[in-house]
Amino acid sequence: MSCSADLRQNIEDLALRLVMGGTESATAPADWISAIEAIRAKAADEQAAVLTATAEAALEQVRGASFQNDEGRRAVLPEIITRLQQALEGETEPPRSADLALGQDPELLADFALESREHLAAIEAQVLILERDPGNKEALHAAFRGFHTIKGLAGFLELWEVQRLAHEVETVLDRARNGELALGAAAIDVILLSADNLRRWLSHVEAGLRGENSPPPIQDQALLDRIQSLNGAPPETKPAAGLATLACQVEVADRGADGGPAAAPPSTPRRETMAVKVDTTKLDFLVDMAGEMVIAESLVRHDRELAGLKTPQLQRKLAQLTRITAELQRTAMSLRLVPIGPLFGRMARLVRDLSRQFGKRVGLETSGNEIELDRTIVEELADPLMHMVRNSLDHGIETPQERERQGKPAVAHVYLKAHHQSGQVVVEVADDGRGLDREKIRAKAIERGLISEDRILSDNETYNLIFEPGFSTAQKVSNVSGRGVGMDVVRRHVEKLRGRIEIRSSRGDGSSFFLKLPLTLAIIDGLVVGVGVERYIVPLFTVREMFRPRADTIWTVQNRVEMALVRGTLLPVLRLYRKFRVSPKSEDPLESILIVAEVEGQRFCLLVDELIGKQEVVIKSLGETFNTVTGVSGGAILGDGRVGLILDLDRLFKERNSESDY
Amino acid sequence: MPPTMLSAKEATPAQADGRAGKYLTFQLANEEFGIRVLKVREIMGLQEITAVPQTPAHIKGVINLRGKVVPVIDLRLKFGIPAAEYTQRTCIIVTQVQAESGAVLMGIVVDGVSEVVNLTGSEIEDTPDFGEQIAGRYLLGMAKVKGKVKILLDIDKVLSTQEIHHLGSLA
Repeated sequence: MSCSADLRQNIEDLALRLVMGGTESATAPADWISAIEAIRAKAADEQAAVLTATAEAALEQVRGASFQNDEGRRAVLPEIITRLQQALEGETEPPRSADLALGQDPELLADFALESREHLAAIEAQVLILERDPGNKEALHAAFRGFHTIKGLAGFLELWEVQRLAHEVETVLDRARNGELALGAAAIDVILLSADNLRRWLSHVEAGLRGENSPPPIQDQALLDRIQSLNGAPPETKPAAGLATLACQVEVADRGADGGPAAAPPSTPRRETMAVKVDTTKLDFLVDMAGEMVIAESLVRHDRELAGLKTPQLQRKLAQLTRITAELQRTAMSLRLVPIGPLFGRMARLVRDLSRQFGKRVGLETSGNEIELDRTIVEELADPLMHMVRNSLDHGIETPQERERQGKPAVAHVYLKAHHQSGQVVVEVADDGRGLDREKIRAKAIERGLISEDRILSDNETYNLIFEPGFSTAQKVSNVSGRGVGMDVVRRHVEKLRGRIEIRSSRGDGSSFFLKLPLTLAIIDGLVVGVGVERYIVPLFTVREMFRPRADTIWTVQNRVEMALVRGTLLPVLRLYRKFRVSPKSEDPLESILIVAEVEGQRFCLLVDELIGKQEVVIKSLGETFNTVTGVSGGAILGDGRVGLILDLDRLFKERNSESDY
Repeated sequence: MPPTMLSAKEATPAQADGRAGKYLTFQLANEEFGIRVLKVREIMGLQEITAVPQTPAHIKGVINLRGKVVPVIDLRLKFGIPAAEYTQRTCIIVTQVQAESGAVLMGIVVDGVSEVVNLTGSEIEDTPDFGEQIAGRYLLGMAKVKGKVKILLDIDKVLSTQEIHHLGSLA
């Protein structure tokens, strides 16, 4: 932001006074101090940060006791004025990020960031293979090529810091290729850390593209030194191996001998498939339209006027149309699907780092890498998976010594598996560690007041307690997990994906978490209900049962809260017409329908006029306009062309006792 | 109350140029308004609007526009003009406005649509300040065409999300 002309004038006045010999006068220092102070105040007013800071520094300097006399003070005045002027210049130009070179095509930069991230992911996978199998030439070449490409692209885009770092690492790998350098544990570490560093630079570039003013990553001189020492080091350098790293190497031999199944990251050579890059908005739109086409086609097929005209020929044509529409929709949906393998692959790095950090020996095994899920689901799964893997390594898996004492193999395993099961995808996160301690969980829950002492819980109910917010049985809070945040967040993520988590565990043998997820997010199986003339959609996966209440079903407590007696349990009742302020067909429960729904393990009842039917609908966001609306999570086009509002049962349950504002 | 031309300022040539162009004019109460044709995506007759709970009165709800769910605002209520019965002439103009997240479609309910006029810079003048009945910041200017005055709206500002929620009633 540019500074006012006044400010500029003030500084120039000061300069002028100097030129005109103002320093000779005895009162001069006091004069300048007040002049600089005035400049500082003005700069602060105008929020000219750099100038303010410069003026402050100047004031300190002039007032400083280090000057013996006024002579010294006068001598620095010219320099101070120069600095102030420079600062002023700096303020009038927009801050230029030195590494986001001006005039660079933002599209090129965005592409570069995207591509480089892909390269880095591949590099990481290859480097991890190299760590286990130092002789693997293919992985070495692939890693080298990755850094080489990034270096070239960065140079073209004048991202000098990135280019420099990539070049250093590329040199290390090149020397390894030529047999001049052996890649020991230290080298692998350095390469992986460099990849992390490069990722930070990419984030910085991306932030700049979004218009954010993020500080560039500090060029880690220590890291560069380490890289350079590798380059300068004579061949066959023995790595300074700590016990953990040695163990890591030994582990490699073990696994190799086992001849186990393909472990993560998938080491199959990348299939060269013809692919195109598509803008995700276009993709989403296509999927949307395909979904709507199914509905439009259905409307035509069931049109009453058409019914009378249906000759066999017309029937055949309509049947053909239906077939094609269904196929089109299936294909469109499949465009959004991506394999889960790469996500599992990312966990490999996490397992490696954490196992060293905790001094445990852990191997990762994956299966079902080729299983495909909607890409948004895969993205959403990243955090929960990381939490669970962390928990596993931190709490679930024992130290090698403890394992041996129990007669278990010293090397523990974490399993990431995916498979299809009756229209769902099941993602399993398992380990062969300690398993969940029922007693400990129960004790903690009682201590936290989550359950009463005399409450009897099944194994499953006990395990599910770990999903309660604020729950954690970790004895000490490590910086990774144990804050009691992990599992609560995991469950929320999974429920956001309209999935469920099931736990199976056995003391001493290990635990398994099963994440059961729908195949796609965009479409939901909905129960269409009517309240008055309005139509609402209840997500079917939340519905437990529905029935028409009898006279003795509904009770009013304290003249305010209504409860329903369902199979011996009292559940809260939410009258939708009251919550949404619409006029129902009838306010009498005996003429209405009660729908029992469940969110986050809690059940409650919705009172509606009627059940219209079941329908698969494409979820449409309502847009920013309705950001403040609670109770409705989106809209969908119903079979008759009207818009139905999809209910947000989570919010409805949480706000069941409050009145809305409008 | 027709706006009277008080001391209308001289529009600077640069300003008027920017505002010149084609406008779609429509009626609200007894006033004629105009919005830039570039912002208009579609004009449709009144159709069934699905009400959304917990929204201020001027947000009528959403409609199905060939598979897209589009919010609809009643401009009368938005401007604090008393609501009127919807007639056969009542239309929904689907506009494309700039929101924080990008371009979005929004529908506005108007009493009736008139015509498209091509305004030159000289026909557009700055709005005089005539109180808060319609907030000045919504207005691009005023145009005098064939003896009638049309109020030119900056539809992006009218339909910006903050406005939608912090409005309450402007009247």
